[in-house]
Amino acid sequence: MRLSPDNWKLAILVGLVVSVLAAIALPPHVSFWIVGAMAALVAAAFVVNAYRRKYYGGLLVAPAIAVLFVMNIFPLLWSLGLSFFAYQSNQQSIRFIGLANYTKVLTNDIMAPANWGALVNTAMFVVLTVTAQMIVGFLLAMLFAKQFPLRKYLLILVLTPMMLSVVASGVFFSYYYDPTFGILSYVINAITGGQFILMDSKAGAVTGIVFADAWMWSPFVMLLVLAGLVSVPKYLYEAAAIDRVSKWRQFWTITFPYIRGLMMLALLFRTIEAFKLADLVILLTKGGNDTMTISYHLIRIANEQNKTSEGAAISYLMLFMVIVLTNLYLYIANRRSQGD
Amino acid sequence: MTVVTKMKGFAAATGFAATLLTGGATYAFADDVTLTMAVPDWPPTRVMKKFFDEQYKPASGNKVKLDVDFIPWPDFYTRVNASLTSGEQKYNFIVSDSQWLGAFVEGGYYRKINDLVDADPDFKKTMESIHPAVYNAYSTYPYKSANLYGFPQFPDVLVTYGRKDVLCNDEEQAAFKAKYNEKLPCTGDEISNMDWNTFEHIGEFFMRKKGEKLAGQVLDDDFYGIAYQAGKGYDFSTTSVHTFMWQHGGNIWDETKAPTGHAEGVVNSPESIAGMEHFLKLLKYMPPVVKTGTMDIFVSDQLFREGKVAMNVDWVGLGEASLDPKSSKVSDKLVFGMAPGLRGADGKIDHTEQIGGQPFVLTTWTTPEQTKEAVAFVKWWLSPEMQNKFAAAGGQSAIKSVYEDPKYATYRPWNKAFAESLDWQKDMWHVPQFFELLTQQQDQFDLAITGKQDAKTTMDNVAKFQEDLLKNAGLIQ
Repeated sequence: MRLSPDNWKLAILVGLVVSVLAAIALPPHVSFWIVGAMAALVAAAFVVNAYRRKYYGGLLVAPAIAVLFVMNIFPLLWSLGLSFFAYQSNQQSIRFIGLANYTKVLTNDIMAPANWGALVNTAMFVVLTVTAQMIVGFLLAMLFAKQFPLRKYLLILVLTPMMLSVVASGVFFSYYYDPTFGILSYVINAITGGQFILMDSKAGAVTGIVFADAWMWSPFVMLLVLAGLVSVPKYLYEAAAIDRVSKWRQFWTITFPYIRGLMMLALLFRTIEAFKLADLVILLTKGGNDTMTISYHLIRIANEQNKTSEGAAISYLMLFMVIVLTNLYLYIANRRSQGD
Repeated sequence: MTVVTKMKGFAAATGFAATLLTGGATYAFADDVTLTMAVPDWPPTRVMKKFFDEQYKPASGNKVKLDVDFIPWPDFYTRVNASLTSGEQKYNFIVSDSQWLGAFVEGGYYRKINDLVDADPDFKKTMESIHPAVYNAYSTYPYKSANLYGFPQFPDVLVTYGRKDVLCNDEEQAAFKAKYNEKLPCTGDEISNMDWNTFEHIGEFFMRKKGEKLAGQVLDDDFYGIAYQAGKGYDFSTTSVHTFMWQHGGNIWDETKAPTGHAEGVVNSPESIAGMEHFLKLLKYMPPVVKTGTMDIFVSDQLFREGKVAMNVDWVGLGEASLDPKSSKVSDKLVFGMAPGLRGADGKIDHTEQIGGQPFVLTTWTTPEQTKEAVAFVKWWLSPEMQNKFAAAGGQSAIKSVYEDPKYATYRPWNKAFAESLDWQKDMWHVPQFFELLTQQQDQFDLAITGKQDAKTTMDNVAKFQEDLLKNAGLIQ
């Protein structure tokens, strides 16, 4: 193996050996920087190698890859590593414990019931919020695909919730649902003469959260579906009309094939986002009435209780679930398009 | 360079050196010292910053700057925790809830201050003049030990906020007397002498529907009797429940008895369960938001300021907004007394309650020069003169000579109740497991508040969790 600045294989070997030795022999705050320096050495070897081979395309994307590595891949790997240690961010000690954190969060008498409960609630919110958003978003897209007076202005109005901060929306809905000051209870009380409290039961609290989430994110689904709808060539509808094809059949044979891909995309994006639902829950219920989601639960464990490595283990279990779910979607989508 | 110029230069240098050697030394060597501080954004900390900027003159002659990060209350813990645990070492001073002491002392972030107190007899005297309940809660870790970490920044207690216009109304007084055969508390002293039974009667008595009369006026909206914190966030039910538990003779897990003290058999003792039941019993006289589990200190305060309840038990620290006509519909109708207590067989009322407020702490990376200036600032802040000024501007003081001074009660309408309440204050755990203990307890209390489980199940679940957790942590044998 020759000694040359462009020998990236040698750089990787040296980097690995030095990093491992530093991690074993030196205190963490020193070894951290040595590992960083080794990563920089490997990156530099790649750059020199690419330059000498005149691989300018690779050099041009190198800064983007470097940023991605520093901001995304490195923290991911770091937190993956932490999940195998006993580590709390407010304590100075760290100890390798293998898979114990994973076993603990899944089976421990104290931790597991809350984790599983939060996971079940998250699954419920994923199904309910995504279903609501897909239906409302789709119907709105069908509406806005047509031309009618003030359409342009109404479209801006409908898109507004998506652009608002979640905190602003959460505060708005907490007042909206408030049984003393809120308009919802005021109107229903005026009609029924009773005392309506939406958020005093699990069903009510879930409804409140799902409604607020659908209010915010249905426009996103609408936007994607609308993009598909406006791309359908008009002449297809004209030909179908000449053939006296029913509206229902027109939809399934002309419109739907154009929007199916985008709907799958919307479904995918919204499912991934719904898995991370925490902000609205914090603002509306604080997890009360059995509305704790796994993301909010994770915030409490990792940020409030400083149980960093246990939080990392839960994060990776969540990541695993999202990856499985995403691949399942893509598999179904591909199989259908192959079937067509 | 001419000879004249050289001589002028020499004369100037000589003059400068002479100035240094004589009285000018103080300013000639004056340093710029910046103390960076994390504080919650509310009146007590704003007032402190204002006083510092306008009135503080360091005796050292240094130019001391207090650089304050005002952080909104809901984000305060998250921001402080992130700053400390990330290792950025940004803050020298932190206004900290007393319960965080264990977590951040064990993490190596909060500086022990015994050496600073012992090295300065005046400072030691000042620290000894702090009310013992406040001193133990704000300064010691482990709780009530000799290890000191904090100085009082803003001592806070729970008091009763009352609506004078409805409580002192003749018609209401007569109707209350006829119904319960007791006087409806109307003055501050009467409220301070009020037990939970009377408070419950007030709750029941003032539950009025829209269209009914209240103090001679027809109501255009529903009106409710009482309010206190019973929310799921942070410690917004723990504070109330602990108060009831202690007054009924129960107890929380007592860290001063570690490692022999237990949680099981204590937290779920019959007395503790009775306290929990008593806490739950009064919720039906509160605005309906309590059924959603979101009745925190800010919600109950807002309900009171909007004129929706007759009485509210809340922190003194939130009082300023109720006095301000811009933020309060009842600003001219207020009366304050101690929070209700449990009357014993001897007729005396037990007012034991959970303490609020915050100490400020020094961080371990604060340099000796910064520490010196910080201690000088704290001494100035805790001086009776400044504490009186602070109290007059809406703050509170736990310095004996200040809160016992008759003029103290004249600063704010709740000050008399504050001073009388100090003897009854107790604090919850200071151990590093504080947040685990708190969040599980809050979750369980929320289930009881929203009617999902009874008091006994709740306290049994809390006790079992605490016993397991603290055994794992080595705090219970």
